[in-house]
Order: sequence, then C-alpha cells, then structure tokens
Amino acid sequence: MANSTNSVAVETRRASRSATAKKITVEIGRPIITIFIALLIGGVIILLMGEDPIFAYGMLFRGAFKGMSNIIATLQNTTPLLYTGLAVSLAFRSNVVNIGVEGQMLFGALAAGIVGYYVHLPWFLHLPLAIAAAGLAGALWAYIPAILKAKLNVNEMVVCLMLNPIAQLITSYISSYPLKAPGPTNKTYDILQTAKLPQFSKSSQFNAGFFIALVLLLIFWYVNNHTKKGYEWELIGQNPSFARYGGINVEKNIVQVFLVSGMIGGLAGAEQALGVYGAFYNGFSPGYGFDGIAVAMLAKFNPLVISLSALLLGALNSGSIVMQMMTSVTRDLVKVLQAIIVLLLAANFTLEMFRKKRKDDETLKKRPKTERKNHE
Amino acid sequence: MNDILTLDLITTIIRISTPLAFAALGGLLTFKAGILNIAMDGFMLMAAFVGVGTAYFTGNLYISVVAAVLSSMILSALFGYFNLKFKANIFIAGTAIGILASGLTAVLLKGVFGQMGVFTAGKVLRFPQYNIPIIKDIPVLRELFSGYTILVYMAYILTPVVSFVLYRTKWGLRVRAVGESPDAAASLGINVFSIKMQTVILSGFFCGLAGAYLSLDYVSLFSRDMTGDRGLIALAAIFFAKGDPVRTVAVTLLFGTAQGLSVRMQLTAGIAPQIMQIIPYFVTMLALIIVGVQAKRKHFNIEATTAR
Repeated sequence: MANSTNSVAVETRRASRSATAKKITVEIGRPIITIFIALLIGGVIILLMGEDPIFAYGMLFRGAFKGMSNIIATLQNTTPLLYTGLAVSLAFRSNVVNIGVEGQMLFGALAAGIVGYYVHLPWFLHLPLAIAAAGLAGALWAYIPAILKAKLNVNEMVVCLMLNPIAQLITSYISSYPLKAPGPTNKTYDILQTAKLPQFSKSSQFNAGFFIALVLLLIFWYVNNHTKKGYEWELIGQNPSFARYGGINVEKNIVQVFLVSGMIGGLAGAEQALGVYGAFYNGFSPGYGFDGIAVAMLAKFNPLVISLSALLLGALNSGSIVMQMMTSVTRDLVKVLQAIIVLLLAANFTLEMFRKKRKDDETLKKRPKTERKNHE
Repeated sequence: MNDILTLDLITTIIRISTPLAFAALGGLLTFKAGILNIAMDGFMLMAAFVGVGTAYFTGNLYISVVAAVLSSMILSALFGYFNLKFKANIFIAGTAIGILASGLTAVLLKGVFGQMGVFTAGKVLRFPQYNIPIIKDIPVLRELFSGYTILVYMAYILTPVVSFVLYRTKWGLRVRAVGESPDAAASLGINVFSIKMQTVILSGFFCGLAGAYLSLDYVSLFSRDMTGDRGLIALAAIFFAKGDPVRTVAVTLLFGTAQGLSVRMQLTAGIAPQIMQIIPYFVTMLALIIVGVQAKRKHFNIEATTAR
C-alpha cells in the first residue's frame, strides 16, 4: 500500500514536471519561433530588394552590439521600451487594453519639461519632483479612459484611440506656441541642470532612467507575484465575473490599473525629456507606445522578461541605423518586423487550439485511471 | 472672414473630404457587422503606394487604381483573417497592420524607387475633370458641383448606394444582424465569419479607392505616412454619426472642413493649425461620452421600472 502511494506520488510528480517542462517550452518556444518567422519574412523582403539578408542582419547585429559605444546606444534605445512595455503589460495582464500609452508618455514628457524649467529647487528635490509630475500627468491622462470605462462602460480602446491624437496635438500646440523656446524647433525651454537625469556616456544619451526602469520592473514583478493587489489585478483580467463573486471591486481595480499603467507611461516621457533630450521636443516619439505592445506581448506580461524583449527591440532599433548606412534597407524594416511579431503573437493559432484539444483528450483518458488509484 | 468662405473653399472641402468619405463608407460596412476597423490607415497607405508605383511602371491611371484597390483588399483580407479566424484582438491587429503598411511602404520606397521621403510617378498623370450637363451652365452651382474627377463623384454617388445596400437588401440585413447579435444570426443559419470577412474586404475596397485618390488625384505623389490619420478621422465620423451612412459622409465633410481650414485659419486669422485639427477627435470624444451617459440613463430607467 505504502509502495503504491509512493509510486503514484512519483508518477504524478514526474507527470507534473513534464507538464511544466512542456509549458515552459511552449511559453519560451512561441516567442522565439515568432521572432524567427519575422526575421525570415524580413529576410525575404531584403532579398527582394536585391540585398543579402545575412549581410544586412549582420550589420544590424554589429550596429547593436559591437563595441562599448554601440552596446550603450542599444541600452539607451532599450530604456523607453522598458517603460512602455511595462505600462502596456500591466494593463493587458488585467485585460485593460491601454493602447493610449503613447499619449500618456507625451503628457509625461511635457510635464517633466515644464517642471524641469519653471521650478527652481536643489537637485535632490527638483529631479524627483519633475519625475513625479510626469507620472502624475500620465496617470491623469489615463484617468479619462479609465473613468469612462468604469462609470459609463465606454469602450476604453476607442477612447484611447481618440485620445492619442488629441494628446499629440495638445502637446504639439503647447510646445509650438505658448511655451515654445526661441529657435527654429518646436520645443520647450531646456530644463535646468538640477532636473537632469545623470548621463553616463559621452557618445550617447544613456542615463539613469535605465536603472529606474529596472527597479520598476522588479517592483512590479514583486507586486504581481507576491501581493494581494497583484493577484486581484490578474484575476480581473482572467475572469472578471469570478473576481466579482470573490468580492473584488472590478471597476475600482480597472481604474487603478489604468492609473498605474498611465503613470509608468508618463515616466517613459520623463526619461526622454529629463534624460535624453533635456526638454520637450514636439514629435520626439517614433511610436514607443506601439513598441510597448510588442515588448509586452513578447514577454507575456512578465515584468522580468520585459527586460529581455525590450532589449531585443531596442537592439533592433539601435542596430538598424548601421544597417541603413551599409545597405539600401532602411530602418523601417524594424517596424515591419515588429508588426509581424505583434500580429503573430496576438493570433490564436489553430495549431495551438489543436494542441489544447489534444491535451483535453489526454486528461479525459487519464482521469479514470487516477480515480481508480485514489479508490485503492 | 470673407476671404475664408469662398466658393473655392467649398471645392477644396469636397476634394479634401473625398478620401474621408471613401474610408468612412468602408469603415461603415465593418461597423455594421460589429467590427471596429482601425486598420484603415494601413489599407489606404498601401493603396496609395501601390497606386503611384503602378502609375510609374504602366503610365495608366486606371490600371493603377485597380492595382491600388487590389493591394488594399489583400491587406484587408490579412487583417480580417487574423482578427476573425485567429481571434487576434482587433485593436492590436489593426494597429499592427497600420505599422506594417507604414514600415513596408517606407522600405519599398527606398528599395524599389531609391527614395527616402517622397516619390512622384515620372510625368504627372491627371484624371480628366467631368462637367455635369445642366449644372455646368448655372453660375454658382457650376463651381460647387461640376468639374471634379471621377473618383470624387464616385465617393458621393456610392454613399446612397451603401445606404441602400445596408438597409434595403438581404445582404445588408444579414450584415446588420451579424453586427447586432452574432449568436442570433448564426442560429438563423447565417455564416457569421463569411459575412464579417466580406465587409472587411469591402472596407479594403473602399480604402483602396481612398488611397488611390490620395496619391493619384488629390496630389500626384506618394510620401511617407501620407494618409495622416485619415482612417482614424473616418472612424471618428462613423462614431459621431452613430453609423448612419448619409450622416457619416456629411460628418466627414465637416471634419474635412476642419482640416481644410486649419491651414487657411493660420494664414488669415493666426489660429494654430492644431486647434482645427483636434476638432474631429474632440467632438467624437464628446459624442462617445454623451452616448455613454444616454445608455446609462436608459439602463437606470429600465432598472427603475423593473424594480417597481
């Protein structure tokens, strides 16, 4: 009897271990296959343009990682994606489709730029205040879709869709007219030295914002996995009606998730305004908000994995400059790769449906056996 | 103020609103089938690029329009397939298709034509302008309604056609049924996937016309990201008009006016262009809020009556 229970335990442990192993391979496998497919399609495009894909990708890789200055530049390109990736993934994890990160980032950057120039304080107060202002601005802008969703059940995605160009036009107006610094470019006044995020390299704008982002990732990894709030946020994404029966105020949590996600979006703007440009520049973002979606989906909304997926896309962005110089393939190829990655990851492929179905069959077959064993 | 509101301005508005009207008609079909089509900018951009590219190689405007429309329809089929078959979130898939079109056209612009920003199709081809028989002899109406190219007329003629198809045909009834209650429609034997897919591909057709108009008629060139959120403005118009075809196109004229005036207002009245450009999004936001409040009030009323 003891022997049999022992063997059952061993068997189940082995089964669960192989199941987790399978799960891990599926979890890691899918993003890797996706990246591979995207690179393959990109290669075909390069080939059609009469260039050598291996040479072009080689240049991209060299541009991203060869030598210290390139590595630093890659890290600088990675930094905004850490923020936007985290902002998107916090929201998506709770099934709050915050596609308004772009607008939240613009307002964050503008707020940081304004506080960075108009407020006079010693640096240990000025810098935190400018960063806090950016987070607050992002959160406030995210409050609009949040409250409309929670109170009036207006589709948050449609609202975000309208709010992005509104944010773009408002910040563009403010930096082009009322608060425009003299000169040909539409930007606000350069921030004071006391509000600057410290830079660490002469060749690029790599700055302390990178480390702040890493700390944020750690914090939210902890919040997601080890706190009640993190569990609630996950639950409202996975099964809102179950969460509601469990006594969780779903609407309140949706608003909270939106605010936190918007705040991090705002911080992305702070890093750009206080660390990279030293002012709010109109049109500074090449679409970091969308990049954040790609980063978040590649990382399956896991804050720790975001550091890897952001590094991947940051390296693509950074290395593509060299590719563009050395071949006739422009940097825009990276956009194509990202779009393919997002499309493939957003899709629920029939292959996976098939796999799930088979797993169900297996569990059905197994059930009588284990039940029998339990009765023994 | 007088020199702002001239006949010439109204002609400009009609021309500037044409791509919006095309896109709005396409978006309307998907809207009625319960799909929020945010990939329209991508469809339009692809069509605009293929249109100019084909004009460069063939020198024939009509072949170019056909090629443009086909490219847009292919992209729309891809979008439809990912959303409807593979169940990708429509907003994410739509955004991705937009980025894909933006990146791909820019890569091909350099790769095929060796240009970084702007590309003109060799010698500039122009669509002939048509005059309407009786109206062309009446002074003011002549300036307003006559002398446009075929694509402009098409946009405004297709408006009542779309309205008719949606509200007076069996197919239109099916589209609306699918949009309002897919489960009920499916239980009546309607192939929901097929109907939705048809509307998505038709929206590709309309956006193809919009893109072809932009790059072959409105201006005779392709430039990077030249659609400039027109798909989004068209979508805003649909929301603002609550999905009625004729009203939607009327709203695109209004939004087109805001666009058309943004440059003039800056020159004549010194008003920042951003203020005019923000109008479509802003009023649509307001409309969304109003609809939300109305729906909530209705809901409350129902709850109140049932409680009694």
